Amino acid sequence: MAFYTLGLTFELVILLTVIVLGMWVYGIYFNVKKWGIGSTGYHDQLRYSFWLFIATWLHEAFKDGVLVFLRTAVLDVLLLRRTLARSPIRWGMHMAIFYGFLTLAALSGLGLMIDIVEHFNILGLAEPAEMAKEALGLPFDVFGYLLLIGATIAVGRRVLLKFVRDNTTAYDAFLIGGVFLITITGFYAEWMRGNAFLVGNALTYSIYAPHFALIHTLLALGLFCFALPWSKYIHVIATPLTLLANRGGE
Amino acid sequence: MATEATKSKLLMSGFMKSTQVLELDGCTRCQECMKWCPAYAVRPDRPGVAPMQKAATWREMLGKQRGLKAKVLGEEPLSDEVAKQFAEELYYCTTCGVCSTVCEAGINTVDLWEAVRPNLVARGAGPYGKQSAFPKLLAEYRNPYMAKQEDRLCWLPTDIKLPESADIAYWTGCTAAYRQQALAVSSVRVLNALNADFCMLGKDEWCCASALVRTGQRDLMREHAVHNIDALKDRGVKNVLFACAGCLRAATIDWPRWYEGYIPFKTQPLSAFLRERIRKGDIDWRQPVNLTVTYHDPCHAGRHLMHVSSKDWAFEAPRDVLQSIPGINYVEMTRNRALQRCCGAGGGVKAGIPDLATDMGKARVADVEEKGAQVVASTCPFCRRNLMDARTAAGSPVKVVDVVELVAKGMNLDTTIPENPYTKYQEQDVIVCDPICRPAAVKQKGTDLVIEEREAK
Repeated sequence: MAFYTLGLTFELVILLTVIVLGMWVYGIYFNVKKWGIGSTGYHDQLRYSFWLFIATWLHEAFKDGVLVFLRTAVLDVLLLRRTLARSPIRWGMHMAIFYGFLTLAALSGLGLMIDIVEHFNILGLAEPAEMAKEALGLPFDVFGYLLLIGATIAVGRRVLLKFVRDNTTAYDAFLIGGVFLITITGFYAEWMRGNAFLVGNALTYSIYAPHFALIHTLLALGLFCFALPWSKYIHVIATPLTLLANRGGE
Repeated sequence: MATEATKSKLLMSGFMKSTQVLELDGCTRCQECMKWCPAYAVRPDRPGVAPMQKAATWREMLGKQRGLKAKVLGEEPLSDEVAKQFAEELYYCTTCGVCSTVCEAGINTVDLWEAVRPNLVARGAGPYGKQSAFPKLLAEYRNPYMAKQEDRLCWLPTDIKLPESADIAYWTGCTAAYRQQALAVSSVRVLNALNADFCMLGKDEWCCASALVRTGQRDLMREHAVHNIDALKDRGVKNVLFACAGCLRAATIDWPRWYEGYIPFKTQPLSAFLRERIRKGDIDWRQPVNLTVTYHDPCHAGRHLMHVSSKDWAFEAPRDVLQSIPGINYVEMTRNRALQRCCGAGGGVKAGIPDLATDMGKARVADVEEKGAQVVASTCPFCRRNLMDARTAAGSPVKVVDVVELVAKGMNLDTTIPENPYTKYQEQDVIVCDPICRPAAVKQKGTDLVIEEREAK
């Protein structure tokens, strides 16, 4: 695979992934503990505890029963009902980013699993694994474009609408700029490899394609461990948790 | 590293749930709240007062004490100046809750702001302006008007006989008892005409203490909540009727948070009770009230309670009552129900930042005028007061009355307020029916109260 031609080995990639995941897990733990600075109830003393947050959140999220929890999970978290009620355009943008981002992350994880199967020829499945990896190309393209559309609307909204632009801070710009940058570098990496979806060979530059793919990968990994827990990216986790804790704000 | 002195002044000092700390990170900064915030609408030069920005400021302040940088480099002490500046932004808010209604992340902003405020009070950065008088007044007088508790029922017409205990209690509220007695008289007249067996707490009715929770000064709240609940329990009450949205919210949401025992009664807006009786055909309408009327949803009875009681009680009951009154031409304001524009009085703003309250009230009066209404009716004496002040400041002819007063007029009940020690403090528009019902304003002239239009004649 061209990806491993720049001195990167499979083992190195696995090591990097483990380190990134470890940092990500620590980041999430740090945030949960920070949320645990609050109390469990209206009059309780403040603490500073990971488990306090978990217990409080579970209590709040299931306060009105499992059915309300599930309804909130489907309507408010998965379908972003509250966003739709306020702005269909923003809903479209959020849905595109949400599902594009999550699916690409899931596909990347799946791709890594297939890589492992292929590398170690687990159960003699190296060849089918190679074929499966090829089959991932289309969903990668589809959800990549979905993410690109969402990210483009997000950037456009922040740039073109005066009210929105005036109230945008570096906190917002870092998130949207980061998403857009990673998405577009991912596409460019694909386009440079040639025979890409929609673009064909128009942007082929095979010599530097691995370099660009590496840049994209490093950016994505950097986002995952260095930015997600420590910036506005945390809303990817915090917003669904908030919606569930508040039973969808209803 | 932080010194012991700065550590002893932690930003978070109490009363904030961990899921509320989560909410700060859950804000997607979509800016929807900025489009709806009534305080930001009249103070566009102060973006810091917008809900999204307040959440961001608090998040950043917390981050300096609990964030990654604080973990690595030590906590950054929070200066009193920064805390004061934030307090100013935080208290430029009526806690009306429209930001919560439109929030994509479903953040309960009312509870959030009310949880942040005590932390600032504990640091000495809050409350704001005259709001600091609330605890002292309530501790000494048990009401914010420095009135005698013994005078709670001084407005009660002598022909109204109250039992010591009953299934139903009418909760007067401080403002109706001492400043807007037309509402109190109308309420008991209507209940009496309906043969409702109701009691009142009289001197045992202490202020609901809503202002304490709204402004983050909670110390006295338990005392008032426990006293009031116990007083209602002692009278065997099963249903408490409220003609004051602020009291209703406090009794429904706040009191139970401070009361550890069982609460055997339910709380109900008087408008919901009246609607039940109207539907049963119990009300005998005797004269048309020929007025074009609109309804202003009080935040405390509307958005604050729509998920606790029901949207039907919160929004539809008062409208149904108004539309039942013969002669009324009901018009709806553009911003209504859950998306209504706050009048500007709540959250301690009327006491702490009166100019902001007036400007917000003017915006609401403009909403009324836009629909050509002569009268704006509400179910909150505090909204009424602020809308009247704003109306006067704007030079608008709009009159402000309570839904119950219109009902009393439709029933042709005598709502004369008996002379009492607080007559000179009355501040309310009234409905005059001679021979047709029309709105008028009560004005003080010398030591007498006169009705504006009659005086003009």
